Parts: sequence; C-alpha cells; structure tokens
Amino acid sequence: MNATSRSSVQTALQMAAERVPVVVACCRTAIGRSHPERGLFRLVRGDALAAAVVKSVVDRSGVDPKTIEDVVFGATQQRGELGGNVARIVALLAGLPLSVAGTTVNRLCGSGLQSLAQACHSISAGAENVQVVGGVEHMHHLPMDSAIDIHPQAFARSSRGMLSMGMTAEHLAATHGISRQTQEGYAVDSHRKAAQAADNGLFENEIVSTIGHDEAGGLVEAIDDQSVRRDASLAVMAAMGPVFLPKLGTITAATSAPLSDGAAALVVMSQAEAMRQGLVPLVRVVATAVIGVPPAMMGTGPVPATRKLLERAGIAIGDIDLIEINEAFAAQAIYCIQELGVDPAKVNVRGGSLAIGHPLGASGARIATTLIHAMGDMHARLGLATMCIGLGQGIAVLFERVEP
Amino acid sequence: MELARLPIHYRFLPLEQASQTAAESNRNSAMPAIGRTPRTLSIQRLDAGIVVVSFFVGDQRQNCITTEVVQDLTEALDEIDSGPEPQGLVVASSREGSFFAGADMARIEMLQRTTGPEIERICAAGRGLFGRLSSRPWPSVAVIDGVCLGGGLELALACDFRIATNEAHTMLGFPEVKLGLLPGWGGTVRLARLIGIGPAVEMIASGENIDGTAAAKIGIVDACVAAPQAMESARRMIAMQLATRGYLERRQRQASEIDLDPDERDFFEATSAAVILGRTGGHYPAPPMILQTILSCADKNAHEAGRIEGAAFAKLAQSTIAQQLVRVFRLGERNRRDTGVGTPGSSVDRRPADSPADRRPAVVGAGIMGAGIAASHLRAGFAVTLVDVQSESLTRSVEGILDEAAWNRATKCTDPARALLLAGQLRCSTQTAALADADLVIESVLERIDIKRQVLASIEQVVGPETVIATNTSTNPIAKLAEALEDPTRFCGLHFFNPVRRMTLVEVVRGPATSDRTIAIAVAHAKRLGKCPIVVHDSPGFLVNRLLMPYLHESVEMLREGGDAKRIDRVARAFGMPMGPLELYDMIGLDTAFYAGLVLNDAYGDRFDASPVIPAMVRSGRLGRKSGAGFYEYSDSGGQRARIERPDNGVAALIVPYALPARQMSDATMTNRLFLPIVLEAIRALDEGIVRDGRDIDLAVIHGLGFPAFRGGVLAWADSLGAAEIVRRLEPLADLGIRMHPTPQLVEMARCGTRFTE
Repeated sequence: MNATSRSSVQTALQMAAERVPVVVACCRTAIGRSHPERGLFRLVRGDALAAAVVKSVVDRSGVDPKTIEDVVFGATQQRGELGGNVARIVALLAGLPLSVAGTTVNRLCGSGLQSLAQACHSISAGAENVQVVGGVEHMHHLPMDSAIDIHPQAFARSSRGMLSMGMTAEHLAATHGISRQTQEGYAVDSHRKAAQAADNGLFENEIVSTIGHDEAGGLVEAIDDQSVRRDASLAVMAAMGPVFLPKLGTITAATSAPLSDGAAALVVMSQAEAMRQGLVPLVRVVATAVIGVPPAMMGTGPVPATRKLLERAGIAIGDIDLIEINEAFAAQAIYCIQELGVDPAKVNVRGGSLAIGHPLGASGARIATTLIHAMGDMHARLGLATMCIGLGQGIAVLFERVEP
Repeated sequence: MELARLPIHYRFLPLEQASQTAAESNRNSAMPAIGRTPRTLSIQRLDAGIVVVSFFVGDQRQNCITTEVVQDLTEALDEIDSGPEPQGLVVASSREGSFFAGADMARIEMLQRTTGPEIERICAAGRGLFGRLSSRPWPSVAVIDGVCLGGGLELALACDFRIATNEAHTMLGFPEVKLGLLPGWGGTVRLARLIGIGPAVEMIASGENIDGTAAAKIGIVDACVAAPQAMESARRMIAMQLATRGYLERRQRQASEIDLDPDERDFFEATSAAVILGRTGGHYPAPPMILQTILSCADKNAHEAGRIEGAAFAKLAQSTIAQQLVRVFRLGERNRRDTGVGTPGSSVDRRPADSPADRRPAVVGAGIMGAGIAASHLRAGFAVTLVDVQSESLTRSVEGILDEAAWNRATKCTDPARALLLAGQLRCSTQTAALADADLVIESVLERIDIKRQVLASIEQVVGPETVIATNTSTNPIAKLAEALEDPTRFCGLHFFNPVRRMTLVEVVRGPATSDRTIAIAVAHAKRLGKCPIVVHDSPGFLVNRLLMPYLHESVEMLREGGDAKRIDRVARAFGMPMGPLELYDMIGLDTAFYAGLVLNDAYGDRFDASPVIPAMVRSGRLGRKSGAGFYEYSDSGGQRARIERPDNGVAALIVPYALPARQMSDATMTNRLFLPIVLEAIRALDEGIVRDGRDIDLAVIHGLGFPAFRGGVLAWADSLGAAEIVRRLEPLADLGIRMHPTPQLVEMARCGTRFTE
C-alpha cells in the first residue's frame, strides 16, 4: 500500500469519525413522585432540575463549554415553567456560553430519546456537532391532561378513548390475555431490580445530587428515586382496585408507571470531536427509528420501531446484550418483550419506570442514561432503548459500547 | 292562501327581497304553477342562480317536520328539478330561532302504532327525499340559525354543506336517544361519515346539544358565522364549491364505506360499550343499539347503511321502553302547559311568561334549602331578596349561593365575572322590612311549626295585599301554617327538594283556603325557575315523601329480617333507581328521615309502623353521609361527595334487638316488596284526590324519586304489570301486614281489568 492510498484511507476514516455520533457523558436527577404534599421535587421547578442536570453533565464530560453548539431537550408540557423554549432557558440557567443555542422537542413520552436521536442525525449530517441533549418533566406542576385542546376531528380516525393511555393498555391486556397477576408479577420484579440496583450503589454514577424536600418540608439531598418500593409484593398489589376501568379492569396504580418529576441529560458529539477534545466516548449511537401505530395500540409502538431499527442496523434481536423497554404499563412492556422475543433477563436489568418513575419527556434520556451505565458496568456490546408513545408511536435507539 | 300565515322574517335576504312574501316569489317565478301551494316553505330565486328554500311551519310552536313539510319539500324539489338548472340550493328557516326542532311528536307516536315493515318503509322514503338534496349537479348548503334537532339535523346533514350561526339560540343535536330511539332518516349514516364513528356515537348516544361554534369544531358544520353573514356565506360556499368541485368529493365520501383501522374499531367498540353500560346501567336499549348500528354500518356503503339504520329504528320505535319514554316526554310537555288550576289540560297556559325583571321574589331563611332556592332564582335571571334574622347565616350562605348560581357546567367551575354580576342581583337583609316590595315570598326557615307560623305572620305584616306567600316545607300541614295568616288564600306550599340545583320537581301544595290565583302564580314561578311543578293537595307527606316512605320503610324491614344492605340496594338499582333505599337514607340523613317519618307514621300508621331502627341509628351517631357513617361507612369522614367504603359493621349489632324472623327471598321478591307498596300508596293518593291527574304522579316519581323513566313512572309500571298481576304478586307477601294488602280499588281494578293511566 503506498503512501497516497494510506492517507486516503486515513482521510476516509477521519471523515467517518467526523460523522459518527458518540455519547461522552450522561446523568440524571433522582426521580420524584408528582405528589402535592409528598413529592421530592414539589417545591423545585422543572427548569431548575433540567439546568442542574445539564450543568452536571457538562462538568462530568469535560467538554469545552465553548464548543457546545446546541441544547436539545425534550418536554411534553411546554408551558408554564417549561414554556418558552425551555431548552434555551436551561442553557442560560446552566451558565453555558451565550453562543449555545437551544431547542425544545416533543415526541410525547419519546421526547428524551428523540432529542438524542435528532442531535445524532445532526452530527451525521455534518451540521451541529457538540450538543447537550436530554429531557425534563414535572408532572405535578404541569399535569399531562390540562391546557390541551385536541381537535375533535382527530378522533374521526380513532376515538376519544385513545387519550387515555390506561384504556389502551387495558385493551392490550384484554386482547392479548395478559392477566392481572402476570402484570403484578412483572411490577414486583421491576421494583425488586430497582431496589437492588440502588442498594448496590449502581445508580451512584448516574444520579446527580440535587435539592429536594422531605415530607416535613425540610431540605434533603435528592439522590434516591422516590417511587421505588422495597416492600412491593403481590399481596399488596392484589388488594388494589383497577384505576382506568373500575371493577372490570386489570390495571392498577401498581402496574402503571407513577406520575413523576425529573430530568436527564447526555453530551453527544462526533467521535472525531471527542478525540480532539481528549474525551472518552461511552457509546456510539448506531441507529435510530421511529414509527406510528394505531393510537389505540399505543403500547405496542416499541415492537415495529425495534424491528425497523434492527433492519437499519443489519442485526438480529438476539445480537443485543441489554435492553431498556420503557415501562409505561406492565401490560405493555410484557407485550413488547413477548412480541419481540427477547430474553427477559436482558430487559431493564436495573428496574424500569414502573418502579423508578416515568417523567414523560425525561424518560427517554433517563433510560438511555441507565442503559449506557449498565452497558459499561456489564461490558455489554450492543444496547437498545425503546419506548411506546401516546397517540400511537414507537421510538428505538441502538447503542454500541466503545471499548476504552 | 292567507298572507298572515306566510313567513315574515327574512333576516337572511337582502332588504329589497325581505319585503317579498313567499306567495309573491312563487307567483313571480317563471315556473309552471304546481297544483297546491306550499304552506310550510317558500322558494326564492336569487341572482347568480341560487335557489333558497325557507321553512316556516306556521301551525306548530316550532318548525318541525310534519307530513306537510315532507310533501312541500318533495314538491319544491320537483319544482327545482323541472325548472332551469340552478347554481346551488340553500335550505334555511325564516322562523326566528328555529331551523327545525325535530320530527313532529304526533308523527313519532303514529309510527309507534304501526308495523315494523311500515316503519322501515317510511324511513326509506325519508332517506330518499333527503338524499335528493345532494344528488343533483349543484351543491346544497343548509343555513342553520336556531334550534336544529333530530330530523332537522338530519335534513341539514343531507345537504352537502352546513353553515351555522354563532347566535345563542343555535343548537344542534340528536335528542332521539332520550325517547329511546335513534335518528331514522340517515342521521347515523351521514354523521358517522362526516365526523367519524367515535364523535358520531358520542353525539347521538348522549343526546346532548352543541352550539354553532362547537359544531364547527367537531366538523358537523363547515363554518360558524355571525347571523347577518350567514346567507352571504352560504352563497360564497356555493361559489367556492362550484369552482373546486369539492362537493363531489364530499358526496363520494358520504356515500362510501368508512375507512377504519381494525384495531381502532375494536378499541372503540370495547371502550364505548363500557362507557354506555356505565351510563345506562343496561336499562336503555337505544345507546347500545346506536353504537352497534354505526359500527355495523361502517363497512357498508351509505345506501346499505341506511337500510340497517331503518331496521334499527323500527326495532327501537316498537319497543316498550321507547313508548314509555315518548309518553314521559309528553307528560313533560303537558306539565309545561298546565297552569296548575282547573282540570289539567283544559286551561292551557298560553300567556307569554313574565320576564324575571318584572318579578320581585324573596326568600326567607338562609339555610341549605333557602340558599339553594335563592341560587336557583339567580340562575334563572331573577333579582332576589334573601332575609335571615341571623347575620352570620346570611354571610355564610352568600358565598355558596353565588358559587352555585355562577357555576359554569362546561368548565366545571364558578365563573368569577358572573358571580360578581349576580352579587348585584342578590339583596340580603336581616330585616323582615326588606320584604316590603316583594310580590312572592318563599319562607324556608327551620322545619318547626311554631317558628314557621311566627315568621309567616311577620312576613304578612310587611308585604302588600297581592303578595303570594309560600312555605317550603316537607312535613308541616299547609292548613296548620295558614292559621298564622290573616289572608290564607294567598298562601301555599312550595316544596323544593334537596339539592335544589339538581332536583327539578317542586310540589305546589294547595291548602284548604288557597286561591286559584295563588296556585297559578306559584306554578308559573316554579316554571320560570326551570322546575317541574306538580300541584298536590295538602296532606301528610304531600305526594313524593308519602310515596317514598313505603320504599324506605321496606328496606329497613328487610334489614331487620337479616337482609344484606348491599343486596337490597343492588336490587333497587337493578330495577333502575339511581341509588338504593339505604344509600338514599344516608344521603337524606337519618335524623331528617326520623323527623319526617314521625309525621308520616302519625298519618299512615295503620300500614307503616315507625321503625325502631331509625331512632337507634340516630342515637348511635349514624346520621348518614354527613356524619361519615349510616347504613354505610364513608371515605374522608363523609360528606355528599364521599365514597361508600363498606356497609357499616355496627349496624348489624344495632338491629339485633329489633330483629324480625329471617326470610329467604329471591331478588324478584325483594323487588316486589320494595316497589309494589309504592304502587299501593299511589293508588290511595289518587283515590284521595291528592293530585288532579294520575299523570302527575308518574311525573313526580320520575323527577322526585328518580323512579326509572324507562318504566314510565309508577302507574305506567303498574299498567305494564296489570292490576291482576299486582294482586297475584302481593298474595305471598300478605303475612307481612296490611302494607302489602291490595287496596279495595286495586282489587276492583283487577276484577275489571281497568288501567292505572290514561
């Protein structure tokens, strides 16, 4: 091989590295319950949570703040304290240089993954490179069902019932024979795994310390997810009443993700840029996919989204080592695991949103963060994060660990 | 043709045409004259080739689709077809505030008496006629100003496009479901294709009306405009559609199958069926039939779908429940016309109602009932004076009154601007002298005869000689209270039910001295409050509480026999009651029930002993919802909004000393025990002349007791069984005592096969 061809290969590799998106740091806040009297973050604004996590992730990554080009943040309720393009406000609050732009994205429950995906697309396209991405939600301060006026004609192709995620999950459980007991067994597992992970300090690297309040109204350091129950049991769950379909339903508060407040953020850039700044990439973002499904089948979204993703990446589901499937409802997560034919032992190894909480716009960034940390700790090569999305969508993102 | 009967209200037409009558327009048109002249519509030919058909159905209180309207429309369309081809057609009404209020009730009743195939044939003819409105080369537009209900909305939907006005009187809806029916002239087919099956089922199965703005939002109308712009907007719509040929595309869609994702369809069916079951308790066949009809029509073309709709309509129309509901509707109509004096129906109230601004009502006593009555006055647009000697009571009640009066049902919260406005309409005073200029005073102080008499006397001291004085009492005899007054002719009872905002029934109680004028004023006033007044004669418990007593009494007797509280209530709800008798006891309050019971037991003690259980409940502090426990335990230490947690375990122990021999009973026997004594008591009340007409009893139990409307009221239910069957059902219950024995009248009716109702 002569010198010219060697240099052209190097140039090609260099060019490729310029277009390969990598994550160099990720972290999240603890997830609080959206409870007006007991919520960990009931007295903390959502934008402040987001700013805290952005500041931490920038510090941890070692990225030169002057090189950050954009903050891309997901939030489903973009009003009040999360209104007015909160991503830009977060950039200002976090003390990032004024040259850092900001945009807020909304793919409902998939917003946190969407912000990551579209930032990676920008890198691949040779557009904005160094970006802080993530998501935030404060479901206590900004309830998900208020200040929304959906055009009634949108129900012409669906029905009003599609607005109730719980009803779509009930329908899924009923039509696919997912029993209440199966769902509760799944939820108990989710709590057990999350509690074990927390007790073993596995979340220490991903949760950043922020300020919260205890029930008495005093200040506490918020480092533990508030909804995880160490006493979760089938017996307790069996006594609860169905929430969406009184008497007849199978879904209770225990088998639905709790309303939550929290934020998560990641720093992404091209592999070449990471090298230039001397930063160690954690994972490459290999592929992303989104898809629509019937709104009534909201919970099934991860299945076709994942299939599309696998096809794009040219791999099989069995090639993946660790999987995060967001647990909006136990019934829906069970359906996706069964339908995709994945080994349950690979799924949500540190517990899922049933236990940890589901701050809608933040959850995508939260599961990506948890997944990336688990991939590092467990030396997994390929990791998948996928979520169902209200009104019928799915999103999936494939990660590959970068060997240090 | 009488000119006076012709439409005179041409608000949509340009000024020069407004002076033209329909007759003139017909005469001036170049069309060959048709044999008969339409009386219910006029045809206008505007420049630019637009034909306007305007309806004015003069012999009805509102425009409604009579046989004559059908004939006139048929001939009008024939006339248009045989003339020069127009650019477009506008269907409108020239009657203020009324597009079409729906089908003529007499037509519906006629339909119910005919056969299934004949009903289907009539439906097919109607669909055929309406179908002509969107089958010609020109587009059609309905201009909807005023009520547009039922068949009227079907007519509008049959046009290619609809323009509604944003006037307050413009209301669109399908009330058929309230009569146990569904729209039978293509309404379900057209609406489902226009706005989708979900919104169509919601609108048709709920029977709720929406205004022009909401109709535009949901897509039933293509635009909502200011009334003066409506006709011009319709012309522009026609011009736009002619240019784009968009109306042909819509016709195609309206005629075709509905493109529906199978998962969405299944999900919709499952969720809607659950919602409907929850709302109807399974008692009303129309809502599930509406759901099934629309679903099964979705994958059919409009022609086939229309046939399915017609068959469903015929089935519902012939059902007993639809017949009961139509009758109940007629009872309501009759009630609204009844002046309250003379033979019912003979003196029809045709006077225009006085404006609230001309009345000066006052309420004395700012307790729960007084506050509720005052609030209902504010809501109805009256300025009202509220007097209570205790200034704290007044202050306390004002907030609640304004809260209730300014409550916005749509937003489910109080409208602060409206509350401020209404505050100016509420005059509070601690001085009886503030009543001086009142023309109607409703006394609503404590239910103690001595206090009431004293207050009534003091009211009479300050008011003018013409002022009507009414007392809101549930237990005190009007005759006894009247003794306190110098002029008892101006005095009557006006018994409101709690909560006043929700209970539409008002008993207008005629004492021995009460004048016709007093009754007529009280009845008219109750109607202006939006209530349903029933005139009853002074007697213990009046009508409603007297009929309620045997029902409540029997539930406690069954408890004493070892019956299960939840089962007793479940049986009552399965019959169609909104709640069971024991739940109702808890809602009324055991102490209140106890005091009311004293009066009733005193009067009707031969058949109803005072139950020892009620005073025992009161002594143990179980006062019902308000104390957090009664026959049931309540969440959050009680209140009217609390949830039932479980039957109160302590009640069993409390009943032990009063236990009766245990009886094993089927649900059917329990139903008979709960409801047949109401029939017996109603027969007695009718026989004693407590009401002027048996129909008042049916209306009163539906509005006052929540007796299921689908059974038509207690007498209609009795008729559905027949007197002989009732006697037969009572036989095995005879050992329970005189309360289960057929009255002599009932025995006689059973012998002759006489009916209880008209």
